[in-house]
Amino acid sequence: MAGIQYTLNRLVLMIPTFLLVMIIIFLLVRLLPGDPAIAIAGDKASDADIAAIREKLGLNAPLLAQFWYFLTNTLQGDLGRSILLRAPVLDVILARLPTTIFLAVYAISLSILIAGPLAFLAAVNRGRWQDNLIRAVFQVGLSMPVFYIGLILLTFLAAQLRLFPVGGYGETFWDRMYHLFLPAVTVALYTSAILMRNLRAAIIEVLDAEYVQFARAKGLPSRLILGRHVLKNALISTVTLLGLSIGQLMSGTLVTETVFAVPGVGRLMLEAIFARDYPLIQGLTLTFAVLVSLVFLMTDLFQSWLDPRMRLS
Amino acid sequence: MKAAALAVGLAMSTALGAFTIGTADAVERGGTLNFARYDGSKLVDPIYADRNPDIWMVGSLFSTLLEPTADGTDLVGSLAESYEVSADGKTVSLVLRDGVKFSDGSPVTGEDVVFSLDRARNPDLGPWAGLLSAISSVSADSGNITISLENPDPALLSMLATFNTAIVSKKAFEAAPGATDQEKSAALFAKGGPGLGSGPFYLSGFEQGASMAFTANPHYWKQGEDGKPLPYIDGVNFQIIPDDATRVLKLTAGEVDIAEFIPFSRVAELDADPSINMNLFPSTRIIYSPINTREKRADGSPNPLADKRVRQAINYATNKEALIGLVLQGAGKPMSSPVMSSATRLAVDMSPLYGYDLEKAKALVAEAGLEPGTEVTLTTLAGSADDATIFAALQQMWQPIGINLVAEQVDGATRGAKNRSGEFDIHTYGWVDDVNDPSQVTGWLGYYPTRKAVGTGWNNADFNTLYEASSTEMDSEKRADQYKQMQEIYAEAAPLLFMYETPFAVAVSGKVDGYLQTPLGNNVFENVSLDR
Amino acid sequence: MSELSLSQDAAPAQKPSRIRMALRKPGFMVGATIIGISTILALFPGVFAPYDPNFIDYTAVRQPPSWLHPFGTDLLGRDSFSRVIWAYSVNMQMAVLATIFALIIGVVIGALVGYYRGIADMIFGRVVDAIITFPFLVLVIAVVAVLGPGLVNMYIAITLVGWVYYARLMRAEVISQMGNDYASAGIVMGYSDLRIIFRHLLPNAITPIVVYWMTDMALAILLGSSLGYLGLGAQPPQAEWGVLIAEGRNFITTAWWLSLMPGIAIVLTGLGFSLIGDGIADLLRPRG
Repeated sequence: MAGIQYTLNRLVLMIPTFLLVMIIIFLLVRLLPGDPAIAIAGDKASDADIAAIREKLGLNAPLLAQFWYFLTNTLQGDLGRSILLRAPVLDVILARLPTTIFLAVYAISLSILIAGPLAFLAAVNRGRWQDNLIRAVFQVGLSMPVFYIGLILLTFLAAQLRLFPVGGYGETFWDRMYHLFLPAVTVALYTSAILMRNLRAAIIEVLDAEYVQFARAKGLPSRLILGRHVLKNALISTVTLLGLSIGQLMSGTLVTETVFAVPGVGRLMLEAIFARDYPLIQGLTLTFAVLVSLVFLMTDLFQSWLDPRMRLS
Repeated sequence: MKAAALAVGLAMSTALGAFTIGTADAVERGGTLNFARYDGSKLVDPIYADRNPDIWMVGSLFSTLLEPTADGTDLVGSLAESYEVSADGKTVSLVLRDGVKFSDGSPVTGEDVVFSLDRARNPDLGPWAGLLSAISSVSADSGNITISLENPDPALLSMLATFNTAIVSKKAFEAAPGATDQEKSAALFAKGGPGLGSGPFYLSGFEQGASMAFTANPHYWKQGEDGKPLPYIDGVNFQIIPDDATRVLKLTAGEVDIAEFIPFSRVAELDADPSINMNLFPSTRIIYSPINTREKRADGSPNPLADKRVRQAINYATNKEALIGLVLQGAGKPMSSPVMSSATRLAVDMSPLYGYDLEKAKALVAEAGLEPGTEVTLTTLAGSADDATIFAALQQMWQPIGINLVAEQVDGATRGAKNRSGEFDIHTYGWVDDVNDPSQVTGWLGYYPTRKAVGTGWNNADFNTLYEASSTEMDSEKRADQYKQMQEIYAEAAPLLFMYETPFAVAVSGKVDGYLQTPLGNNVFENVSLDR
Repeated sequence: MSELSLSQDAAPAQKPSRIRMALRKPGFMVGATIIGISTILALFPGVFAPYDPNFIDYTAVRQPPSWLHPFGTDLLGRDSFSRVIWAYSVNMQMAVLATIFALIIGVVIGALVGYYRGIADMIFGRVVDAIITFPFLVLVIAVVAVLGPGLVNMYIAITLVGWVYYARLMRAEVISQMGNDYASAGIVMGYSDLRIIFRHLLPNAITPIVVYWMTDMALAILLGSSLGYLGLGAQPPQAEWGVLIAEGRNFITTAWWLSLMPGIAIVLTGLGFSLIGDGIADLLRPRG
């Protein structure tokens, strides 16, 4: 019961947030410099063409009316037509979204695979050389811009050693895993660094906790202690952290897709910005916002399911 | 004017065959070409194609009635076997080639031609209708096409060899879902559309912004060297890789066979690679900078560039060879005609057009009484490395003549808006001809009513009169003379900073033969063969 | 670093000075040294750079590293070493200017809504939710797209988005401080609200803000150079690390030094800020 109540509360809270999100997106695009009509018509068009396009797009209507159209159209799933791609924005985004989601999930899985065991190793050996080495490496990783990591991997593993393809995204599932390996590693290096840090701290916290010390003193096998307390704690902390860093993950995919020529929504966003394709910028920004809030919601619900005390907040 | 009748046919396939010299002994058939593009096509419909990545692909899917010869100086038949212009220049008659077919095997008929041309000249549809405004009607009697004109148009034949008049299937359009022509077109060219082509290929795959595939049209009328129909290859797969470095990596890693738009800074390195043929195809692309010639700037302050002598001075003070060295690593040449590329028909070679002469430049600014340290703004494209280099170089070059050049970086749309409103001093710009005729580019750069002479505000009555006269002049000698006069007037007035022409840099794997990019930019795959 | 401070907790009851404690931490010392040197380079690039970073020399294009040009020359014959050094002033400036206004705005707003709560706090909550709903980079590049590429616009964009994080942190701190005795004492004693906020709550709540600021400066350099690389931040010919990497990108196999050196500069500076942040976090951590 309480769980359903909590979920409902959570959903109701999202409504005003979303209204604000829509206002932000709307204002962003209305403030774009350069007449969108000129962007649509192209350099070679006549002034009359441009006036006609302005009229057609409703750019002459009052701002409030324009917002109302934007809001109602969006709620009906109509995000307008892309200038750049001459197709409905929704279709364009839906065609590119699976690639980005694939990359994101791939990257998350890799970061867990990288960070999990290393965090554990570091926590258990805390203060010793293993710990210091692992943390030093990740510290450096955190200080590297994503595009730089991508560039290095691309140059050495793909171009020089020819271990991986230079770009593209493959057809079948395994082909896709192979093509997107380097991009996923690029994104994962950054998230795994954050994850490793927090996971290590979480494990240490449990190991130091009085009840664990007590259980140890009582002679309970350490495997049991680790299994019961550490894993649960680590799981909560991993989920929370991954949920919170979804924004960073998305930012990372945006840059990575550009470096590796992966045709996902991140690269599309940059193309849209350079082409002043304002319906597409609008649609993409909204898509990112929806993705992030969905992940936030899922994280929240998952957390409250794992640890009911958290619902109090 | 005398009626010009030309029978074409056999002569034409030999002309095209010239591209594949060297593979004459045994052309291999089959295989798929992998092509890395800098930008994707959106809609390869002849009449809606308005960006180069669309325009340049139209010819691979849809043939026109006529086509330019290999050197671009003349026209020969393509889907039409022959053409004839009446003595008064107001009627063009064409005869369709026998047995030409769309990729599904259905015949290309006179009805398809009427449909395609009516579509192309409908001003409510595509942006190019204005180029066909001289046409009053098009009719067909089976394979005999008659085009009636309101007034003689010397550019009309060239227009029939231009992408927007390419022939599409009337049946396919009528069968496509949608109420308007736009909707039908979108449905036909969408992913999974029927992809009916009249050219060497048809569209067989399309993933918006990511990839595109062409498959050979088995019914294409042109013959290869082996006596069988072109094209030699089974198809082309396009991948879109906007990043220059990644595109080159793809080629050197062997993942694609051709990479286009190679940054000029890498031409030498790829040229040295024995497994790659580095091509620099001659183009009609010119890079220039419009100069605001109005008496006052948009903010009301006096405009030092309104004085012709100052404009001439900055042209003399610009060392084009050095600029070409810096921006293009030498892979280009200074503009030799002021209003068009040297590859455009009727271009007059006036080189050196404002050859580097600092003393002359200094004398001109002194004569004009230009204050030393006068501030002039160069508007450049943000994020463009070329523009950044151009700015840095011009700033150094113009300092000695007392001009303090400052940069203003904007995006493309803002630059376009500034060009329209005249709120600029000088800005970088470029152009590639879309039509195999000088009228388009000359109108764009110099004819005031078109677009205020590329936004410079330069309004010269003599030039305008000559341009108007030339657009109905059917006597080719007289027309050439009008163009010569226009180029002389324009060069003297210098409403532009005349910069350079650049070739199309395309790196092609050694196993590919016969690829061509025309001076207009069209990608030609019909003669491509792969060594396998 | 937490276990290092643990070991110090066992130290004698007499509290060693914070400075002396800091000196004992190798991480902090390394960070402080890096940032110290970076700051000097940023303030006086002309002293250390042998050439004008924008001087074009077309007779010496793309030369490999030599005694004359330790990092070689770029496509236009500019000295790469000088460009990397001059970029210090741009990128260090980025670390400060992209964060300081967000910090000030965020701290003030966070303190006010944390103190007064009520309707303002509710609106604040929605605004924060809305802004963090966008991935940081997406919102920043969208704002840069609105304002146009360039450094100043980039600072504005990062500030417009970044203040939220400071405000959220500050609000939480203020609320937790409000429960403390001295805050209620202040209220009882009839101090003005502003005095309570700025004289009592703020100094006590500032610790996590400072720690976050250090991390944020590292992030600002990463973000700024990413935008420069993508063509949305600093604009060429200005020397900025992201721009330099982008310029060298085409020659990464033939002239690797062009993009390697600015990359190392980014990593070092980022590392410096993070190490200082960690060090301060340890030092300022309240102990039991």
